[in-house]
Amino acid sequence: MLRIILNKKPAFWALLCLPAVLMMRPYVFGDLIAMDMLHPTGEWSARFMIAAMVLSPLLSLIGPRPWLSWLIQRRRALGVAAFGYAVLHLVFYIIDMGNLDDILAEFLALGIWTGWAAMLLFVPLGLTSNDASMRALKAGWKRLQRLVYPAAVLVLVHWIFIHNNLGPALVHFIPLVLLVAARYFRPIRV
Amino acid sequence: MRLWTPLSLAAVAAIAFASVPASATGAITCKSGPVSGWKSQKALTDKLTKDGWTVRKSKVDGGCYEVYGTTPEGDRVEAYFHPVTLEKLYVNRRGEVLFRKAGY
Repeated sequence: MLRIILNKKPAFWALLCLPAVLMMRPYVFGDLIAMDMLHPTGEWSARFMIAAMVLSPLLSLIGPRPWLSWLIQRRRALGVAAFGYAVLHLVFYIIDMGNLDDILAEFLALGIWTGWAAMLLFVPLGLTSNDASMRALKAGWKRLQRLVYPAAVLVLVHWIFIHNNLGPALVHFIPLVLLVAARYFRPIRV
Repeated sequence: MRLWTPLSLAAVAAIAFASVPASATGAITCKSGPVSGWKSQKALTDKLTKDGWTVRKSKVDGGCYEVYGTTPEGDRVEAYFHPVTLEKLYVNRRGEVLFRKAGY
């Protein structure tokens, strides 16, 4: 019975919302300010993006596994979650900056415009992540969703230069780079 | 597309390795001695507020006080102050250093 409930799509959505619920709590209670919310929302957005991106390289590398198919069936939800957390990230950025002048003053910083550009690419991906769009776009849907690759490069640059620190960004991105690279050099088609 | 992605991600990481200073987040460091000789963060916030700053948040970083806020000129910045003298040492807007005291 529990297994049936956990396998329902809404259960997966609830799981994806969990980090947001946990991170919003101290903000709602006034223990954290908008500035403090930038890091967790951005990090979870990147995590879900990477999680969605590693599934097919994993499938070509290790072949079909029940847990992997379970995740692949939910890959679109992972992408939507990445988009949702990115929107939260942007909302908190706007709340934190508070006015257009300050936002424009730093727009051209490498760590900033790359974030805006990644967000710009995320918008069509997020808006077409539904059955109707998949049907309407047919093969074009997959081509469109490949925009996630340039978006990932932008996210990586954004993360490194906003943080002025390599460690956390590389911890997240090195597995992605290795998996995508391994898939290219060992193209086992499943 | 498949080769392009790992190569560009790796290139970004390599360029970043070469260009990001190893000192990580601390933009500058202060030789400020034992904490017992420091003025309080509240003293700094009060002084800055009186001078026309808006302080959103302050913390200790690299032996300095690091303040996130808005300058009297209206720039949204991250600024460093000496915890003993409360002297302004470094002011940075994302992507642009606005002030750096000689020697820091």
